[in-house]
Amino acid sequence: MPASPRLDALLRDLGPRIRRGSLPVEPPAPLPTGIPQIDRLAGGGFPRGRLSEIAGPLSSGRTSLALALLAQSTRAGELAAVVDGADAFDPASALACGAALERVLWVRAPRLREALRSAERLLEARGFALVLLDLAAADLRVAPATWPRLARAAAASGTGLVVLSAQRATGTAAELTLHMKRVETHFRGTPALLEGFEAEAALVRCRTAPAQRTASVHLRSDAAA
Amino acid sequence: MRTACLRVPDLPLAAELRAHPELAGLPLAVASGPGPRAEVVALSPEAARRGVRLRSSVVHARTVCAALRVRVASPALERAAREALLDAALGLSPRAALAPRASGAYAGEAAAFLDASGVTSLFDSERGFASALAARADSVGLPGDVAVAGSRSAALLAARWLRSGEASHPARGALEPGRVQVLPPGCEAAFLAPLPIEVLDPEDDLAESLTRFGVRNVRDLRALPRRALSLRLGQRVLQLIALAEGAETEAPLPAPDRGRLVEAVDLEFPVDRLEPLTFALQGLLSRLLARLEARHLACGDLFLRLDLAGGGRDARRIGLAAPTRDLRVLVRLVCRALEARAPDAPVEGVALEIEANPVRRDQLDLFRPPGPAPSALASTLAELEALCGSGRVGAPEVADDHRPDAFGMGRFAASAAERRAQPGEAERSSAGCAAERRAQPGGPGPELPLAVRALRPPVPAQVRLFRGRPESIRSAVANGRVVRLAGPWRATGGWWSREERFAYDHFDVQTSDGTVARIRLDRLRQTWHVDAVYD
Repeated sequence: MPASPRLDALLRDLGPRIRRGSLPVEPPAPLPTGIPQIDRLAGGGFPRGRLSEIAGPLSSGRTSLALALLAQSTRAGELAAVVDGADAFDPASALACGAALERVLWVRAPRLREALRSAERLLEARGFALVLLDLAAADLRVAPATWPRLARAAAASGTGLVVLSAQRATGTAAELTLHMKRVETHFRGTPALLEGFEAEAALVRCRTAPAQRTASVHLRSDAAA
Repeated sequence: MRTACLRVPDLPLAAELRAHPELAGLPLAVASGPGPRAEVVALSPEAARRGVRLRSSVVHARTVCAALRVRVASPALERAAREALLDAALGLSPRAALAPRASGAYAGEAAAFLDASGVTSLFDSERGFASALAARADSVGLPGDVAVAGSRSAALLAARWLRSGEASHPARGALEPGRVQVLPPGCEAAFLAPLPIEVLDPEDDLAESLTRFGVRNVRDLRALPRRALSLRLGQRVLQLIALAEGAETEAPLPAPDRGRLVEAVDLEFPVDRLEPLTFALQGLLSRLLARLEARHLACGDLFLRLDLAGGGRDARRIGLAAPTRDLRVLVRLVCRALEARAPDAPVEGVALEIEANPVRRDQLDLFRPPGPAPSALASTLAELEALCGSGRVGAPEVADDHRPDAFGMGRFAASAAERRAQPGEAERSSAGCAAERRAQPGGPGPELPLAVRALRPPVPAQVRLFRGRPESIRSAVANGRVVRLAGPWRATGGWWSREERFAYDHFDVQTSDGTVARIRLDRLRQTWHVDAVYD
């Protein structure tokens, strides 16, 4: 029973903003890439239960970054899925990045439609820490409702959904969008060897808005390692 | 040996109601054929109450009851219902068998016997076991009566009497109400004695002869001298006497194999669209899954058979990555198979056969993050394989092959235990540690291994050479002048086989459009391709 009419009025004014006391629910830990600069840029890593995107043209380093994310997840003992809408996944590269391949489910979707449906089905199954949807070579003409639907499915499952694309595609449905760009290519030695290249990750969209906007990363070829 | 009998008194009617549960509670008649002059061979209590009689013609039955629903008797449905009855029995006992088909007044019944010895260690009493069996029969869509007795014949007669004359039995005070009946050990003879001779289902001429002899019930039959009776009426009467005494004369009940389960339906009219066909398939699958659930099994591979108009037949196998009992997944799988390759002609009949496999179990891992539930993962894998094609879903593997585009795909282990048991995990972990060392924050800087994107199949390219080295490229992925170049790296192999032989010269190139790609010269065919892009 309210102690006074003023308290009664205050409670009435506050209305639905008053909630019963409970411990604040901690957001799940993000999925790190293992690259400190990228993780700082992304606010700790790629968020679980959210749709994220890595965009960039060919030879920009986006696949290397995605495989680093895959490697970190699987090395932590979690399951990850690669929905390969471009049929471009290279197991040897993933292994070189340190991925535990036995914890990776590889789905070679023949077309964009199957890739999107496969990703949705994997999100519904729950239990995967990461679903990597590679649409980098696909013609991304998808229905506008597709990305919000996938984002909702990711939120319901707690799975981090990361879309790999040539151009930014997911729009406002994404919690985090990184755009990759190659800065310089290194061919060194005699005879010449592809040593690697310098890439830059630009934060295009992030709801948590970190201070830093770009991060540099060096991609090193196995031949030069 | 204590034996239970699960009996469905009117199988044609029960089979129709099992396939079409929406007809329950309606006046329903099962006709012997499709024409108007066909006979009514089974009818529901609602139809009987409205004056429809067995053996009347369909035309007459419709005259008596205008709201009568008529279904044509389907041998396929009855066969499936009979097997479902056995499945319900096998859900509670490993030893079970179907009773041979009866004749005469009990021609429509179906019964299954099962070993009920020692069930009191699992159930509180034999009555509890009988109730569980009745519930199991309900779950497969075949409500029936259950009796437990010291022999198969006594159990069958008790089950028959439950339905036909419980109220008039002289020992009705000792009988328990309901659909189950348990005859205590040693009480079979006393129970059977007052039953009329008709419950033994004698052949017509034998029944007439016995009636002339003044035999009215089982007690009268037992009192007659066997030798004299067999001399006059033949060996058949001895079998009847053995039945009347409730003696166990058959071999012990067998333990059937897990085997395959079949459900089939003949469609009323040819179907040429997927949607109504899906409706029929959903019914078949739900009935199959109820049978599997009754036996604690799961669905393995599916075999679909379509009877087409014009006498054709379309048979196909639908593989499952793992056993499942998820109806939604199975319906999707079958629909995808039909969408991928539509039948050549309208469909007149559908049969589904499934492999009954044990349900996969998983031991959860205390020290690793939880993955998907095994059953959900199995369903997901099956669905993904149906969606993307066979062999396109699995765990990636690095192929033990020098061919540059070689890769492997193994089975994705559903359980943590299986994953741990897979060979090569240690060396993969060491690769992971090496990558981790490269990515140490305290190292020379943030460094990632450079990944490649494979092009499958390799993209043809036109390459202009200058002094034997690529100068410019035209292809679908990389175009322009070659700005930087490394190579060639030669790869050869498969020399022992004309088909598998390969000899490539690889170059790492950066073109003026900014792409860093791996191109190759096929030295055997003198063709250029882009087979990967560094990304």
